[in-house]
Amino acid sequence: MIDRLYYFIMVPMVYLAVAWCLIGIAAKIVRLLKAPQHPTTLQIFPETKTPLLAALVDTFTLPTVREHRPLLWFFLMTFHVAFVLLIVAHLDLIPQLSIVSGASHHMIGHGAVGVALTVSVLYLLFRRFRAPVRELSVPSDYILLLLLFCLFLTGDVISWANSWGQNGFVLSKQDFGAYLNGLVKFTFQDPSEVLSGGHYTVIAVHVLLANLFLMILPFSKIMHSFFALPLNALRRA
Amino acid sequence: MEENQKKELLELFADKLTRAARLYLDNCTRCGVCIEACHVYQSMPETRYTAVSRAQNIRRLYEKYFKLSGKIAPWWNEAVELDDAWMDRVWETAYTCTGCRRCMTFCPFGIDTGLIQSIAKLLLIGSDREPKVLTMLADVSISKGRNIEATKKSFAQAVRNLEAEVIEKWRSEGGEEAVPLDVQGADVLYVALAGKHSIVPAAAIMNAAGEKWSLSYFEAVNFGAFVGNPKKTKEIAQRIIDEAERLKVKEVAICECGTAYRVMKHMTGKHSFNVITFVELIARYLREGRIKLDKSKIDARITYHDPCQIARQGGIYEEPRYILKHLTDDFVDLQSNRRASYCCGGGGGLVIMGDKEFRMKSAKVKVDEVKATGATILATACENCHSQLSDLMEYYGLETKVQFVSGLVADALVQETASRKVPAATSEEPQLQLTAKAG
Ligand code: HEM
Ligand code: SF4
Ligand code: SF4
Repeated sequence: MIDRLYYFIMVPMVYLAVAWCLIGIAAKIVRLLKAPQHPTTLQIFPETKTPLLAALVDTFTLPTVREHRPLLWFFLMTFHVAFVLLIVAHLDLIPQLSIVSGASHHMIGHGAVGVALTVSVLYLLFRRFRAPVRELSVPSDYILLLLLFCLFLTGDVISWANSWGQNGFVLSKQDFGAYLNGLVKFTFQDPSEVLSGGHYTVIAVHVLLANLFLMILPFSKIMHSFFALPLNALRRA
Repeated sequence: MEENQKKELLELFADKLTRAARLYLDNCTRCGVCIEACHVYQSMPETRYTAVSRAQNIRRLYEKYFKLSGKIAPWWNEAVELDDAWMDRVWETAYTCTGCRRCMTFCPFGIDTGLIQSIAKLLLIGSDREPKVLTMLADVSISKGRNIEATKKSFAQAVRNLEAEVIEKWRSEGGEEAVPLDVQGADVLYVALAGKHSIVPAAAIMNAAGEKWSLSYFEAVNFGAFVGNPKKTKEIAQRIIDEAERLKVKEVAICECGTAYRVMKHMTGKHSFNVITFVELIARYLREGRIKLDKSKIDARITYHDPCQIARQGGIYEEPRYILKHLTDDFVDLQSNRRASYCCGGGGGLVIMGDKEFRMKSAKVKVDEVKATGATILATACENCHSQLSDLMEYYGLETKVQFVSGLVADALVQETASRKVPAATSEEPQLQLTAKAG
């Protein structure tokens, strides 16, 4: 029974979650494009001669946060840069993509990316429990951060556990590559065959949380990842 | 609340859901960076006066009626029912927001809480809860526009009575009217407020510069914009647009009234004429040497309050400073100036609405900054700000005198200058920085 549950999480649910996420994002974007344009300018002056460039800088360096909340800025930048690296590192696991050298047994960052994410997400979570941010927060704010924290923590455990085996690696980058290869090629092979070892449960939980995250994403404020640039562009021109 | 009314209000809401409004409602992360932006919160630190809390009152309705998550799991983003109790709460945060958009310069995404509050204001109008005095003034203004032919004569007579005062400040040349009306093909149509302080100094300055100008029959102020009613805003502005088109003027110069400027410049589409603020016109005269000012007239430290509607919303930052530096060598900026300037606390119709106690308390942060400069003259370029700042100085017992830029300029006009024959600005003069600074 538990094996079938693990299989469901590790294979069919991944497909469902990814499809759901992509459709949800597309629906959000279409709905936005269908809304009428605002009749008046929403620009804040002074003007710049290169509004798009300025909007890009605003989007990727968060100057207003740096000015008004330097500590938050530090953790937000750490969080977002690490998040991008995390996406790259996961794509890098797929043998067909192999972004950096395939020879290493480690994921990109050797576990540091995960630690950076875990620490910064903890900061984001803790600051929500303090006034006045606490009074502004709604349940989804906490749940999302908690979900991310658990997701990152299980990721950290998987990465850390790689040093448990006698030869240093319980599961290497290549083992995960084999699992993802199966997913990419739609082989529907049981992942437990390629991901042997004691912490398969942790991996299943990690994938379950990732599936949940993908399913929630289109309906959450994390859609700001797509809309931060157009939003900043409105302010610039 | 009756079902019918609820339905109507939701239709009003849906009408306001432009792409920008949806972006603003969908993407707030509730990070709290905007908390300190609002002058109301700075002066009275209650969470409900933060930009994000004000926006949440509308966002939570949006969640309930326009989002899937609010239908499936209302607890997720705390969706709320539209009812009378909630509308009372919306009232508190909508008509205490002056629409200054300072918070927008704090938000990492640039979310415009002023715009979200304009949705709130529309819902309040729809449920008959808006401040009646503002609507009344808007209606008076519209009906006056409709009966213009009947009032034209008395307006012209009132204007004639002002001419002696204009000539006192600047003698007109033979045969010229000191306050011209209905001038076909004028270069400038000047739109004033009802009140001679808005006409006399401006007329003297334009006459001194030898401008070919005409005074508009209409008042610049737009109560429709204060109350947040887009239809009335348009109707009020349209009378001036029609007049400008009829006279075929090149430019419409709006008197020192921030809202009138923003409405005309940014909220009524493209025009056959250029829209400028009167301070831009003064700066131009100085730059071109068409007027000269006597620095010895004012022996005081001057500071300047940036009216939100012409500054953050219009980009008029440097012109007033350029002018004031022609009036004194002792100009000091407020600590928060230009883009970062705090609202005076009287915008969005608050000055007219009458809750003086709130208005005074909510703008304490401005008073503290004025005090810190040690200035004895606080100049500004907006009627609304002028009234509010004057009230503030009195309430907090400051000696600082609030003055219009145009008033200061008119009093310092150098009479000997033959208006039209003055050479262009010399190189020693402070050059006007019109190029934008990013940031
Ligand atoms: C790769 C794309 C992005 C992803 C996946 C992403 C994801 C996230 C996540 C998961 C959070 C935590 C949410 C929370 O605190 O509850 C967050 C927070 C935040 N993000 Fe992003 N983000 C992305 C891009 C951006 C961009 C381009 C900006 C630029 C403005 C931005 C600005 C913020 C801010 C201001 C927060 C504050 C959240 C808080 O204080 O709680 N993000 N982001
Ligand atoms: S700064 Fe912007 S994103 Fe953050 S709470 Fe305020 S409005 Fe929301
Ligand atoms: S627009 Fe101005 S008054 Fe309104 S919430 Fe923002 S800072 Fe406050």
